[in-house]
Amino acid sequence: MRIRSRFFVGAGLIAVAVGYLIYAAIENTSEYYMTVNEVAARQASLEGQALRIAGRVSSGAISWDPVTLTLKFGMYQIPNADDDDAVKKVVVSAPPVFNVICVGQPKPDMFAPNKDVIVEGHLDGEGTVSATQVMTSCPSKYKPKQGQ
Amino acid sequence: MPNLGQLALAIALILALYSIAANIYGARRNATDVIVSARHAIWAMTAMVAIAAVSLWVGLLTSDFSLEYVASYSSTTLPTIYKITSLWGGQQGSLLLWTLLLSTFASIVAFQNRRRNPEIAPYALAVMAIVAVFFLGMLNFVTRPFDLMAVRPVEGSDLNPLLQNYWMAIHPPSLYTGYVSTTVPFAFAAAALITGKLDETWIRTTRRWAIFSWFFLTLGNMFGARWAYEVLGWGGYWAWDPVENAAFMPWLVMTAYLHSVMIQERKDMLKVWNLALIGLAFFLTLFGTFITRSGVISSVHSFTQSGLGPYFLTFLILIALVYTGALLYRVPDLRSPAEFESYLSREAAFLFNNLLLVGIAFAVFWGTIFPVLSEAVRGVKITVGPPFFNRVNGPLALGLVFLMGVGPLIAWRRMTVKNLASHFAAPAIIGITTGLILFGVEITQWYVLTAVSLVAFVAGTIAVEFGRGVTARRHMVHESTPRALVNLVSKNNRRYGGYIIHVGVIMAFVGIVGSSFFRVEVKKSVKPGESFAVGPYQLRFQSLNPLSTPHLESATAEVEVTRDGRPVASMFPAKLFYKKPQQPATHVAIRSTPLYDLYVVLAGIDDQSGMVTFQVFLTPLVFWLWAGGLMMVLGTVITMWPNVRERAAIAEAISRGKEQIAAEPAPGGE
Repeated sequence: MRIRSRFFVGAGLIAVAVGYLIYAAIENTSEYYMTVNEVAARQASLEGQALRIAGRVSSGAISWDPVTLTLKFGMYQIPNADDDDAVKKVVVSAPPVFNVICVGQPKPDMFAPNKDVIVEGHLDGEGTVSATQVMTSCPSKYKPKQGQ
Repeated sequence: MPNLGQLALAIALILALYSIAANIYGARRNATDVIVSARHAIWAMTAMVAIAAVSLWVGLLTSDFSLEYVASYSSTTLPTIYKITSLWGGQQGSLLLWTLLLSTFASIVAFQNRRRNPEIAPYALAVMAIVAVFFLGMLNFVTRPFDLMAVRPVEGSDLNPLLQNYWMAIHPPSLYTGYVSTTVPFAFAAAALITGKLDETWIRTTRRWAIFSWFFLTLGNMFGARWAYEVLGWGGYWAWDPVENAAFMPWLVMTAYLHSVMIQERKDMLKVWNLALIGLAFFLTLFGTFITRSGVISSVHSFTQSGLGPYFLTFLILIALVYTGALLYRVPDLRSPAEFESYLSREAAFLFNNLLLVGIAFAVFWGTIFPVLSEAVRGVKITVGPPFFNRVNGPLALGLVFLMGVGPLIAWRRMTVKNLASHFAAPAIIGITTGLILFGVEITQWYVLTAVSLVAFVAGTIAVEFGRGVTARRHMVHESTPRALVNLVSKNNRRYGGYIIHVGVIMAFVGIVGSSFFRVEVKKSVKPGESFAVGPYQLRFQSLNPLSTPHLESATAEVEVTRDGRPVASMFPAKLFYKKPQQPATHVAIRSTPLYDLYVVLAGIDDQSGMVTFQVFLTPLVFWLWAGGLMMVLGTVITMWPNVRERAAIAEAISRGKEQIAAEPAPGGE
């Protein structure tokens, strides 16, 4: 029985190690995945936090400089993207728009006004998103058919 | 044809239901004729599902757009090969493929066991039929492949361009073959639990199925990675996407299972663990199908819209509860007479390897469902990306590689320290020397140093094993070295095939470490005639050539690659635009060498300035990932190859009129 319990100690150590690795990695690498309105609602608390923001490219000024690979655009809430009532109540007047700056990445395929995008990056002080990556949400085969 | 397909699926469902009842009734009452009829029902069900699949293929090949499925996933201009593969381009077709594979495997099992395993085979077939009933139920009532369009469109909306690629033609069938074939060992394990016949019969009967499943899971993962590498154009091959994780988790658990059953066969230990592992592996294949098909990972909200999700989740939970319940009920009968004796034993090495594999699977599972859990529990969706998976799995992978070196050389039961030193001295010296050399050439990342040293250590242990075997044969049987090597492998194919698989794994690991730590990326916008440098290469953008066909439009860049003024290659990365789905795609140009891959993406074309943006990756050693995959394939084929001794044993068993055929003899050289 003593030997048996020694093996439980060994197995336990591995389990603890796996658990700790998972815990530490989640603390260090997690990103909040939010819509534009959700970000706007708690803008103050999100500064510096790694974010993935889902939104729609506004039809206003889009600038793309192929030499410096700099992409600038505004993004707003995707209409009806979220059927959460709490979020809807927040939006009473002017819908929030975030300016996005992404430097050093090629302009994604299908990037155009009114396309849905997911932006990865940080929110800086002036409500601008400095993005490390801009992805156009692709029509994946894994997406279920939306309704009929 | 659509009506025929729909009818065939309905009949298949009835046959599957009948087969469940007949198998169970026949086994309980010992009614041979009923069991025979249950077997025939399985075969008839397979024929019906095949008819349904053929009907859908006919629809796809004849561009019958009155079928919603054909209109959604095909078009008149789609090349014929992709019309065939679009059978698994969408949800309904994928599930049909699942069901076709499942019923085919059930038919083979019914045939293999027509005179064998009379006590558990009927229950195993009943379990397979239950799984078939679930999928046939989905195909008949929830996601129907033969639904018709209200108005027949003139043209279909085409297969997703990303799937119009030969790797995508073979990746899903390979992966699904791997997924579905885990059902066979699972079904026999469940049958053992139901009947209480808990000896090794279920393991022996399904050993080949388990290796078969592992083989196709390996292929499926490799093909998927290769597809991502060639098609997605981000320079990598693995993004820890939920879909990839779904394919990876069953592979991990099946790997653990294939190792731990060896302990049960040799030492009669880990019985509960093996039953649990195969249950988990099967659960994860269903879970994988579930998350790729229900959309639950993209959002909790889309989950309920997909129709399939709630049913699938219910089935998953039912399977998990019933199987776990049965296992717990049988635990008292599964006590093992043997015990672990020492940490310094092969049993211990295998046990810890199992824990690490399951630990990695758990970490991947947790990272995959974390966004859903956090959304459900905290109301905020928190995602974890590749950094999470790399941080957790990186260190665990080192532990696994270490054990891969230890396991084969260490003795069963217990090993003395003196013995240990004599066995491991040479490999340890090889490992440490390799680490020192790397440090000498100023590679200082601790992970890389540790990883490569361990790889060298494992390579050393495998070389020692082959060396000992060959030397023994040369002395005992007086064979020449090459002949001794061939005989060594062919006479002990399970053991040495396993080592060859290990060689493949460490080759792939070298590829993964090299490509993860030393990849160089250059992004540059240039005009025709301009050049830029990537590592030792000069890339000169010559021209951009447009092309238009009815199916797609493309722009191909011609890039001249030189090194120190000498021409190396002409590369042709392209941008494609598929007309029917109005979707772009990229065609990556790759020049692969064992040292590094030059990977050129035409990332953007700016009409205003006339500039073209290139994204170029110089990825070291990624070649070895694919080479390692091939090596694993070779090793598995050797392992599965019918052994002369085994065949003799089977012939003997049959001549003695045994009901149950003994498994092949234990690996020699102990």
